Amino acid sequence: MPEQNNAVLPRGVVQEEFDKAVEKFRVLLGKESVLVKADQLLPYNKIMLSVENAAHAPSAALTATTVEQVQGVVRICNEHKIPIWTISTGRNFGYGSAAPSQRGQVILDLKKMNKIIKIDTDMCYALVEPGVTYGQLYDHIEENNLPVMLSFSAPSAIAGPVGNTMDRGVGYTPYGEHFMMQCGMEVVLANGDVYRTGMGGVKGSNTWQIFKWGYGPTLDGMFTQANYGITTKMGFWLMPKPPVFKPFEVIFQSEEDIVEIVDLLRPLRMSGTIPNSVVIASTLWEAGSAHLRRSDYITEPGHTPDSVIKQMQKDTGMGAWNLYAALYGTQEQVDVNWKIVTDAFKRLGKGRIVTQEEAGDKQPFKYRAELMSGVPNLQEFGLYNWRGGGGSMWFAPVSEARGSECEKQARMAKRILHKHGLDYVAEFIVAPRDMHHVIDVLFDRTNAEETRRADACFNELLDEFEKEGYAVYRVNTRFQERVARSYGPVKRDVEHAIKRALDPNNILAPGRSGINLDTYKKA
Amino acid sequence: MSDSLSGKAAKRVLVASVLPFALLAASTLAQDDSQWGSGKNLYDKICGHCHDPKVGVGPVIAGRDLPEDYVRFIVRNGFNAMPAFPASYIDDESIAQVTEYLSTLPAPAARP
Repeated sequence: MPEQNNAVLPRGVVQEEFDKAVEKFRVLLGKESVLVKADQLLPYNKIMLSVENAAHAPSAALTATTVEQVQGVVRICNEHKIPIWTISTGRNFGYGSAAPSQRGQVILDLKKMNKIIKIDTDMCYALVEPGVTYGQLYDHIEENNLPVMLSFSAPSAIAGPVGNTMDRGVGYTPYGEHFMMQCGMEVVLANGDVYRTGMGGVKGSNTWQIFKWGYGPTLDGMFTQANYGITTKMGFWLMPKPPVFKPFEVIFQSEEDIVEIVDLLRPLRMSGTIPNSVVIASTLWEAGSAHLRRSDYITEPGHTPDSVIKQMQKDTGMGAWNLYAALYGTQEQVDVNWKIVTDAFKRLGKGRIVTQEEAGDKQPFKYRAELMSGVPNLQEFGLYNWRGGGGSMWFAPVSEARGSECEKQARMAKRILHKHGLDYVAEFIVAPRDMHHVIDVLFDRTNAEETRRADACFNELLDEFEKEGYAVYRVNTRFQERVARSYGPVKRDVEHAIKRALDPNNILAPGRSGINLDTYKKA
Repeated sequence: MSDSLSGKAAKRVLVASVLPFALLAASTLAQDDSQWGSGKNLYDKICGHCHDPKVGVGPVIAGRDLPEDYVRFIVRNGFNAMPAFPASYIDDESIAQVTEYLSTLPAPAARP
């Protein structure tokens, strides 16, 4: 009889069936790799969402280290209709962290499956397992003095490429669009088959991490932000370390400047003159990442008044918008592009340019420069101290990289956040044509009333943005079903037809991106 | 503790003198011995990214003689702004090692 003091069961699974599955998991993986006790599961249940922990409590967690074990897990799950939620490094803060989308799902934790299988420094690519972290890769690259650099999200050191790319996350170097730079994937399908994308299925192939598409339908995209398979290996391209790296900042004083900033920046991004994922951070994002706290300035409830924000700008030299970008290449290339960039800002007649020489070791310039050159740090977690209390949800609508659009979105978001007594803490992550407009909905999760407001606020942000034709690129587990509706019924029908074909028992993370055979009804 | 560490260092030197892929082999070895190799390594690679006095995302934890039970409780549960870490990420042995390492560090200077 398996001991279980967690008292959470997967949806539609009775205790007896669950116990049988747990016994089989133990035989397959060993006792230590099957966690059913409450204290073992607590760490997976730490969430930053506007909902109680119980809503996302797992029934168990399994750790697997080999593809064969993952195959065994899906076999058992099919036999007993056990839904599993797969995590790689599980550091998906603000998007649901390590907790399952639905209460009761069993977590398949691949953190211990952490081999760096290969880094090729001629062809500049890596092939890794899910548990590999960027910190681990960084150390490996440094210890072996490899002439390549990484791109990663701000949780850098503790996050990892597989998990981040499966949620189509972004970084801040010229390789910042991570899924775009991904090449070759291995997934265990619900029927236990091991499928390799691209050139990976060709016997004796040496081009799995070289050529993305392979032949016929290219399916890597189909597995990201989806629940059609469990990724057990992933390849991705690495940027060669350039001889010269020149990070810089441009500070703008007025909120309205966003229009001109974006319209000036677009041609520079489009032409490749500025090659990296630039950021334009609002005052309060800048403040949070510089480790200011709201309580340093004000203790009254509600949103932080504009007068206080102006005062912060005055005290610190931060702008209404703080732009971070970088140039890469030989000294000659950097010099040529630096002239183009500085001339453009001079013509605009706005914006104070700050070089690395001027900034020195000052934050937040330092952490930005590190993120733009693939050096890990967690400085930006200062955002979570702005209000404190552990509440944070990313509201990240997609936008044209057009000044008037960015201003419209910023105004809308600010109005709605203020209505609910919360702050506009945001940055634009700038591609040539698109913006990931990333807004951190920060709230004190220890305060029940504020948590309810944050929940209502997030709902309203989704609703109001949708009315203007905007939708988010990624969202936390509480709102994945809601956001799926933004993209229309035909898309959902197709997604569920694929789900039925590949996972008829609905065992793989039902609810992920709103894909769930148990609850979905065709419109 | 110090014995096993020096033993590990000795192994590393031996390997380095014999194998061409010395560094790679050494880091693999260190990881095989325990999840994080040492308390210092865990602090440098994970905790310190937030708790180092020069960073300041989290409070200083070095030199405060925090009890192991307390450290484990916070790591496993998370605490408000601080995320939790499952044992697959940081095991109990590593928490014990990092607690001991923290106690060997000088106490934080009083705030000005």
